[in-house]
Amino acid sequence: MASFTKRPGELLWFSLLGLGMLVGAAAALMVLIKGHSHMYNVSREIPWGILISTYVFFVVSSTGLCLVSSLGHVFGIEQFELIGRRAILLAIITLLTGFGTIAMEINHPIRMAIYVILSPNFESPIWWMGTLYGIYLMLLIGEFYFLMRNHHKGAMTMGLLGFVAAVTAHSNLGGVFGLLEARPYWHGSFLPLYFILSALVSGGALISIIVYYNYQFRKIALPARYPQFIDTLAKLQALFLMILTFFVTWKIIPGLYGRPPEKFEATMALLTGPMAFNFWFFEVLIGMLIPIGLLLNKKFRTPFGVMLAGVFCTVGIFFMRYDLVLGGQIVPMREGEVNLVGGLLSYSPSLAEYAIVGGALATCMFLYTLAEKVFDLEMKSH
Amino acid sequence: MNNKRFAMVLDTRKCIDCKACTVACKAENHVPLGRENHRNWVTEEHLRGKFPLLGQSYTPGQCMHCGNTPCKRVCPTSATGQNQDGIVTVEEHKCIGCKYCMTACPYDARYYNEEIGAVDKCTFCAHRIYIGRLPACVETCPTKVRVFGDLNDPNSEVSRLLAKYPHRVIKEEMGTKPYLFYLI
Amino acid sequence: MSRLLDKNLSRRRFLGLSSCALATVAVGSQVKVLKALAMTGKVSEPTAMTSKDVFTSCEMCVNKCGVIARVKNGVIHKLDPNPDYIKSRNMLCARGNAGTQAVYDPDRLKYPLIRVGERGEGKWRRASWDEALDLVMKNMNEIAEKYTRAGMMFASTEGFQEHFFLMLAEAYGSPNTVRHATLCLSSNIQGFGATYGTNPNPDVLNSDYIIMSGANRSEAFITPDTIDFLKGDGGQRKVVYLDPRFTKTAAKADEWYPIKPGGDMAFILAMINVIVSEGLFNQAYLDEHTVGFDKLVPHIEPYTPEWAEGECEIAAADIRRIAKEFAAAAPKAVYYQGRRSSFFSNDTQMRRAMAILNAIIGNWDVPGGMIPSGKIKLAEHVYVAPWYDDVPDRLDKDCVTYLSEKDGSWKHFRDRVIAGEPYPVKGMMVYKQNPVASIPNRAKTLEMMKQMDFICSIDITMSDTAWLSDVVLPEATYLERMDPVESIPGLLPLLSLRHQVIEPLFEAKPCLWIMQQLAKRMGDEAAEMYDYTIEEFVEHQLSLLPGAREMLDSKGIYYENATPVYGSSFGKPLKTKSGKIEIYSEKYAENGHDPLPVFTAQTTVPQGKYRLLVGRHAYFTHGTTANNPYLHDLMPENTLWLNAGEAKRMGLKHGQRVRVKSPVGEEVLALEATEKIRPDSVYMCHGFGVLSKEQTKIYGKGGCDAALLEDEVCPISGNVAMHHTFVEIFPA
Repeated sequence: MASFTKRPGELLWFSLLGLGMLVGAAAALMVLIKGHSHMYNVSREIPWGILISTYVFFVVSSTGLCLVSSLGHVFGIEQFELIGRRAILLAIITLLTGFGTIAMEINHPIRMAIYVILSPNFESPIWWMGTLYGIYLMLLIGEFYFLMRNHHKGAMTMGLLGFVAAVTAHSNLGGVFGLLEARPYWHGSFLPLYFILSALVSGGALISIIVYYNYQFRKIALPARYPQFIDTLAKLQALFLMILTFFVTWKIIPGLYGRPPEKFEATMALLTGPMAFNFWFFEVLIGMLIPIGLLLNKKFRTPFGVMLAGVFCTVGIFFMRYDLVLGGQIVPMREGEVNLVGGLLSYSPSLAEYAIVGGALATCMFLYTLAEKVFDLEMKSH
Repeated sequence: MNNKRFAMVLDTRKCIDCKACTVACKAENHVPLGRENHRNWVTEEHLRGKFPLLGQSYTPGQCMHCGNTPCKRVCPTSATGQNQDGIVTVEEHKCIGCKYCMTACPYDARYYNEEIGAVDKCTFCAHRIYIGRLPACVETCPTKVRVFGDLNDPNSEVSRLLAKYPHRVIKEEMGTKPYLFYLI
Repeated sequence: MSRLLDKNLSRRRFLGLSSCALATVAVGSQVKVLKALAMTGKVSEPTAMTSKDVFTSCEMCVNKCGVIARVKNGVIHKLDPNPDYIKSRNMLCARGNAGTQAVYDPDRLKYPLIRVGERGEGKWRRASWDEALDLVMKNMNEIAEKYTRAGMMFASTEGFQEHFFLMLAEAYGSPNTVRHATLCLSSNIQGFGATYGTNPNPDVLNSDYIIMSGANRSEAFITPDTIDFLKGDGGQRKVVYLDPRFTKTAAKADEWYPIKPGGDMAFILAMINVIVSEGLFNQAYLDEHTVGFDKLVPHIEPYTPEWAEGECEIAAADIRRIAKEFAAAAPKAVYYQGRRSSFFSNDTQMRRAMAILNAIIGNWDVPGGMIPSGKIKLAEHVYVAPWYDDVPDRLDKDCVTYLSEKDGSWKHFRDRVIAGEPYPVKGMMVYKQNPVASIPNRAKTLEMMKQMDFICSIDITMSDTAWLSDVVLPEATYLERMDPVESIPGLLPLLSLRHQVIEPLFEAKPCLWIMQQLAKRMGDEAAEMYDYTIEEFVEHQLSLLPGAREMLDSKGIYYENATPVYGSSFGKPLKTKSGKIEIYSEKYAENGHDPLPVFTAQTTVPQGKYRLLVGRHAYFTHGTTANNPYLHDLMPENTLWLNAGEAKRMGLKHGQRVRVKSPVGEEVLALEATEKIRPDSVYMCHGFGVLSKEQTKIYGKGGCDAALLEDEVCPISGNVAMHHTFVEIFPA
């Protein structure tokens, strides 16, 4: 049943998040008044900035949660049934927050709603992105409904359809970048595959965080099955991370071998250029190496350790998306561009962009933790 | 009825990078002020050689009105379209500002126009050519670098130039089939 | 189970809230659009005027290219080239296209302003025209009383309405008109004038061989030369270009040499030497058309290519080859004399050498050669100026050998004003000129202005000179007024009439109106000088040419020949003393100047210093247009060009801010490390580093070259010499 009992620190938690949401909302309001060009640092040559990468981050989280939870009530791996409701709920919330973030990025969201229906372009990966994510959202909501009602057959059907939608939508999102011949750094089949793998990593990471949150902060006595679940999840997560490392390595090698034009410059920007710190510290160390280290070591495979690995992964993935979106744009398309630093364009988010990202993250956490109090998210056995 | 296919031929030997075309275009098409806002440009190519043996070329550019448009393909609301005569257009009221076309264009030909609330780019001055005048950039060029016309007409100046002289396009390997030709 | 879920509130409420948010987004973007339109002046009062085309000519620079202004609902939508305008050959450059922004620039002058606070503080109060004009008249009268009428100086630059301003000086009774000519091409006029009796025009379009010293035509536009000097389809033309910088012209030329500054005269003399010593001239021609060739032969002997190589740093073999090619192409060959002839103090003699070189290959008044200007005759404006007793001669009288009575010599004039000798000049009326930015050695110009009792500027923007004035009067731009017919001389003489395109914005007024108001205040005699409308004036001007007005109204131009007329000078004596081309100049000899050019080497660049060069970009006109909104977008600030190797040696990085120090000033700007300039020279674009805060886009950006340049001068013509200054560079 819903429990609105107060806990120490809860007020502080919600207040801080509320503050974050307010800051985000204030920034959003300023943007509406003053216009995008005055508030954002995106430019003609770099039109997609942190708002896009944050949107991708949110939807990869959502997809991942859906995929990992599918292991439970779609593919029948019993251990994963535990987190069914929580995962799908967070999947819905992250998806909606993602939509909110990108709504601040595009200039005319209302036109979009009208014209994707009136004059759709079936060749456009973004059209498919909108459509598929819309379908995916419906399916997630349906799945959540069935899960809450303990309607296992319905949940399984929705879950299966949701799984298919998730994979399709998210690999298509990879295609949004990957189908652009103009951008050698993005072009190819790699990104759709890589996005799905990233999703698996992200899903596992987020689940370990929300499990720990309930275990530690809400201090609800988790059923005995949880520690075993955490152990399995950790091992699976470590596997996904190692595959991810393999993928990232093979993304880099073709960018260096033979120095292919534009791809090479972007790869070098990542390895030794302006994004090197992002890459080596956040993507590699925080995002991959430390979590792998934690998860493979039995001593650290506690709920806390796995949660920590999850947090690191999530941060790492946030930067992975940012570096990906930036990387494809910082090599100029034309010779003779001015204001180049080391032959590359520059971008760093504006205050408004940071505020909106912060506000979105705060909203997501606020909504989820509030929902935890409102809904009973324990899975009932069947 | 014979369809036209508009194209432009540029003799960059004559280009002196005076930017008359950029300013004429801005004035003609109400392009907002600001260095980022331009529909066309002149690229100062890489300086060749070392002092005192130097050389440099100047290459004007704009939307190439491609035969295989990457921008039209990716627009979710079909705001970007293409006329029968090859001119790539943007229907302002359908543009949602997702900027996908901007990332899809290999030539950095597009920019977001805050004043009209849509992505904007060269239109070959359609409003001028449909009443028999020339695009502003073509007309204003001091050294007459640009020639504009109908490539489907074998007797047009553009057809004649392309038949007579070797020419190149920019980023041919992208497969976009641009309709701005540069005489070699 | 959850109450919320049962009521299915969460989803619907969310959608409801989101559409509110989305609606706000839509409204927000509309607000932006309206604000932007208002800024660009496109949302203006609807007038009765509908769409129309108006013929006019551009005033963004000196070329006066033909323009068709497209007007929609009282707003100038676009300036298009005039295809019938033979001078500009159906083109309009970046500045011409930016002319609309001179009208709609938010920074333009709108109302008469009277200074409050200190000079240079930028504190103004808006005044009515009557109040401002009364104040101007009051001060002018005070100066006439306290000093003499010559205590008031009138500074102006050429323009279709400048005539009315110069008349005001006459009406007032001051001889002290100072014009721009000695900041520009006076030494060219002198050097060629001494040889041919006039400064002729090179027939670029029909010439097969063109040599240019500086004269960066791809960036310093002169129509039609800028268009004509490039090879056309299958063209024969060869262009040899000498410039310490690799400019856009260098990129287009067939041969470019980074000539050592000061070496042009050596190069030219060596070319003459080759032509003379190898007999590449036509003796019969020279006997008939020139005087003094016999004196040239022994004079030119020591000036061999081998000698010249040391002075100009161009290989002797190349000089010899070029001279032979030049002579072989004759008479369709020109040594292009250019315009801004303010290199060194021996500039007049250098141009003399150029003129002589052109003369001996026989290119005078034939296709592809040097053609004297034609000019279409207008009816003269006859008027009677009031007579004043006891007005001294112009202040800079006798400062140089050949001083134009109308133009003066700015450098000398300024020196004498500062010295207060031979008499004080305490009042300054400025029209369409920006001396603070234009005359080298800005510190001295500021000193001159400081000691003035009264300064009034008539301008269209708050230039640096206007910024330091006491009264600022807003002139209507060229698109907001009708102008007198201008008879433009040259290879293709023509008449140009500016039709009024739109009514003046705000309270701007044409120069004629301003002059009329001042003249009224001066008295009846003065007022009578201006007793006509502009329409009446134009009608009178064209009274000798029936049909001219119709052509001007229907085609935007009047001309009698669409192609150059050759041989107009044959059979008549030239305007020289001998009536022939004077290779040897007796009048120079009589005045203590070298009758034949004698080479003088310029000071070597001292170790650790660099020679500061002056030059142009196709985006700007002199010091006045960098703040134009469209042009500003092309180049928001200037940089100091320094040779890349030198920068590396000094440990300076491209883009780094540097301090540039000369004997007369110091400026800070960004460094541009480039291969495109000689290691011993530096360059910065003119028109930046302004003092006027009301040039809002460029204030605080870049550096001012006038603040660094020393003011050397040519003793024959009074032309400033601007390439003498050496600067040091430090990290800022």
